[in-house]
Amino acid sequence: MLENFVLEKDHLLPLLRKLGRQYRLVAPVRNRHGDTLFTEIHDLDRVEIDLEHQPQSSLKPFFFPQVEVLSMYGLDHDASSGATWYSFYPQLPENRPTVYFGVRSCDMMAVMYTDMIFLQSSEYDVYYARHRENAIFITIGCNQPFSNCFCNATRSGPFLEHGFDIQLTDIGDRFFVETGRARGVQLRRQWAYFFRDATEDDRRAQFQAALEARGLFNRLVHVDLVTRILARQEEPEAIFAELSARCQDCGGCAYICPTCTCFTIHDQALDEDRGERLRTWDACTFSGFTRMAGGHNPVDPDRQRVRKRFLHKLLHDVEHHGRTSCMGCGRCVDMCFGGVDILRFIEMVSENETEHEETP
Amino acid sequence: MILDPSRYVAPGMAGPQGSKPVRGNIYLPVPAQVREVHRENDLVTTFVLEFDDPLVNQEFSFEPGQFMMVSMPHCGEAPISFSSPPGRGGGFALTVRRAGRLTSAMHRLRPGDTIGVRGPYGRPFPMTELAGSSLLFVAGGIGLAPLRSVIDFCLDHRSDYGEITLLYGCRTPADICFADDLERWSRAGVRCLCTVDEADDSWSGRVGLVTELLQDVQVEADSWRALVCGPGIMIHFVLSRLLEMGLPRDHLFTTLERHMKCGVGICGHCFLEEKLICREGPVFSLAELDDTRNL
Repeated sequence: MLENFVLEKDHLLPLLRKLGRQYRLVAPVRNRHGDTLFTEIHDLDRVEIDLEHQPQSSLKPFFFPQVEVLSMYGLDHDASSGATWYSFYPQLPENRPTVYFGVRSCDMMAVMYTDMIFLQSSEYDVYYARHRENAIFITIGCNQPFSNCFCNATRSGPFLEHGFDIQLTDIGDRFFVETGRARGVQLRRQWAYFFRDATEDDRRAQFQAALEARGLFNRLVHVDLVTRILARQEEPEAIFAELSARCQDCGGCAYICPTCTCFTIHDQALDEDRGERLRTWDACTFSGFTRMAGGHNPVDPDRQRVRKRFLHKLLHDVEHHGRTSCMGCGRCVDMCFGGVDILRFIEMVSENETEHEETP
Repeated sequence: MILDPSRYVAPGMAGPQGSKPVRGNIYLPVPAQVREVHRENDLVTTFVLEFDDPLVNQEFSFEPGQFMMVSMPHCGEAPISFSSPPGRGGGFALTVRRAGRLTSAMHRLRPGDTIGVRGPYGRPFPMTELAGSSLLFVAGGIGLAPLRSVIDFCLDHRSDYGEITLLYGCRTPADICFADDLERWSRAGVRCLCTVDEADDSWSGRVGLVTELLQDVQVEADSWRALVCGPGIMIHFVLSRLLEMGLPRDHLFTTLERHMKCGVGICGHCFLEEKLICREGPVFSLAELDDTRNL
């Protein structure tokens, strides 16, 4: 059951200080270069928590690091027989109870999606699980969506109805507080003296903010239309070819995307007889992603390199999980200098359709 | 049984706190020892492998059509199909074509060396569903490896299956794999027809594509099933021809190859449209494949 409380804004830092003593604290921090990134906070008084700008990074690297050691391996040589013995030693990540503060709805939805990929498939990814266990999410709804946001169209924001432990809404001099999952309820109870019960006025203010936010999106993005068009199995081949030609093979869209989870596994030799087995982010837009030993590649990089990325998010995941795996955060729009972002794709497909309809 | 690597984890090695994972670590290979090495031809070698732990050897089982993720030092991992049938004890066989860094390293293995393996993975050939039918196998080059597992399984359960015919095509006579097996199967009553694309002086057999051998076989739509493996383009033409011959799509099976990293449906590499080959395949009936032009 959702319970409602209020946290006065001047109680926020004291609450975070208290939480920081018990948990690792991660929040969007504005650094000296002017970037806002989710950052582990060691000293709350020396950093600037930034709730004004969209964090440029998502939470993905905290649960699924860009590079992670899966195991160490070693070779032992038997001098008498000449045979080699090859063994692996797993390196599981540390499991640190962490509070993620200031998480936006799209990023929270993305965590729920990656949970499904790593934890609910027939196999269970113990590395992801170790990072993910003992995480508490304090999310904040977006009263003012950012310039490239379209979470209204992907139904992943600007406010959440579930998935969070605690959801905050900025209502002027105070935050409206909703407790969701058990850890949020427990956290609020444990530090009850920071909160007060919400009044009718608070509820009204929250309702007003949430309603107004819906009207503040810059972009009108026809996500539903495009998922319907793609479901008709008519391939927008020309659009894939045009965008593939513009793609510069940098992988930035996949790296910045909170729901892109593809990875590669490779070995890094430390010396002749020892090494690390690493897992590293990968991107289906890379020309080597599907290339097999011997050179055969079932994907034509010149015309199809962006095809899987867009179909995965807007068609295949709709078929498999009932919703797109694009959460509408718009980060790929800022990332891609070639304009090969998902928004561009959605616009091209929907414009194509409209022109189609207009032709008699 | 899927290998549970946790049994190999030495105390204190499982993690920073020495704690054990709640469930097994799907990425952790276990050592298997090379018992035998058979050169099939200049590029293809079959390795017979066994786990060091006799208990694991006893418990380990797989089905024809499944694969293992094989690790070689400093080379990462690659998926390799079983080329031996299950249920015979004495380990399992993997047949490997020298194509990249990892497979080249495998070709330097000698009996007694260890490699890392994890698995078995993937959906196997539906051996129970195939029981009662006559089987037509069509293989190209090293594509015979996974079908070898099926053919030997059928011979081990001979009364469960009807007639067995194998059509085998290779680029040149030097590319033929499993020459001894072809003779052994012929003696066991398997009708084996071979062809090469380009003959040399040593070859007195058929010359032409494997699809041409299909002219020499008669298959009843009701009682026959076909299992096809080889290069993507060959699979496409053979399946198309078999459809023309009247076999329904759900009587046609193939096993597909893709670049793979995890083997368990997470890493995303082995996609074919909305499917992940490692988890939903590698064996598919043609009824499950919309388009075979780009396998």
